[in-house]
Amino acid sequence: MYTNFEQFAAASLLGSEEAPPRSNGELCFHRLWEGRAFGMAIALSKKGHYEWEEFRQGLIASIAEWEAEHCKDDAEWDYYERWLLALENMVLETRLLSREEIERRTAEINAQIRG
Amino acid sequence: MSERFLYPKDREIYSAAKVKALESLLVEKGIITSETVDKVINYFEKEMGPFNGAKLVAKAWVDPEFKARLLEDTPAAIADMNFPRGMGGAEGENMEAVENSAIIHNLIVCTLCSCYPWPILGLPPYWYKDPTFRGRAIREPRKVLQEFGLTFADNVEIRVWDSSAQIRWFVIPERPPGTEGLSEAQLATLVTPESMMGSARAKSPSSP
Repeated sequence: MYTNFEQFAAASLLGSEEAPPRSNGELCFHRLWEGRAFGMAIALSKKGHYEWEEFRQGLIASIAEWEAEHCKDDAEWDYYERWLLALENMVLETRLLSREEIERRTAEINAQIRG
Repeated sequence: MSERFLYPKDREIYSAAKVKALESLLVEKGIITSETVDKVINYFEKEMGPFNGAKLVAKAWVDPEFKARLLEDTPAAIADMNFPRGMGGAEGENMEAVENSAIIHNLIVCTLCSCYPWPILGLPPYWYKDPTFRGRAIREPRKVLQEFGLTFADNVEIRVWDSSAQIRWFVIPERPPGTEGLSEAQLATLVTPESMMGSARAKSPSSP
């Protein structure tokens, strides 16, 4: 039915807990990195590195993991943190990147940001 | 270090750094390019969304010929709009527009998100897929509309349309009063996704 991968990917997330935050019919990214994480997850699947359904299941699992440890109305809930965790797991599972190189690069960038 | 022990500000910096790390590594290895990621984001922010439907409605308000065509042959009228690919073609083929008037109000329902014409209407609100909403909208549309803040005189006919894979409906809301001097672009800003589903009226120019 769908002519377009982006459309298929977003539609598959709708109507359930894994649906991305949206406002007035549009996706809303509050921070720059949210959009980058969103775009990367779709781009990698579009290029065939994993099935979109695998990512979706990973996202559901990462949300369930958070919910198992927190109350439903916990103010610390952050949809895109869960998205990011699912993306990182997917990248590790498909061996696109190793945990060591991700941690090393993250530490470097972290140090730069803090100056 | 696990992110769970970080304070909010640190969590924020950590997430931003992690995303940058992932993107820079994936780009260095030639797995993706930053442009690919830009394109995905752009697609959702600029190409597909309720702003497309709003343009259709605004044009229909100012151009009676276009409105007639939009009602008669919706895909053909959409194809005229120079929208990005995927809307005038296969995806838009099954679209049907219905018009609200002083005596008819249309409401669209659908339980399958896959049927929701979101290249035109944007992503559906959370309650839209709720089976209770759909069931009640069909059984007692007047009451459901009242809960949305819409009341109608007894002589107004309420029509409920169930979107399916075969036909995806959208509503041309009534043009609000006091908008005679507005341009097409200004009019488009008054058209909300809800107004194209029939669960709200188009905004009035005086309201923020």
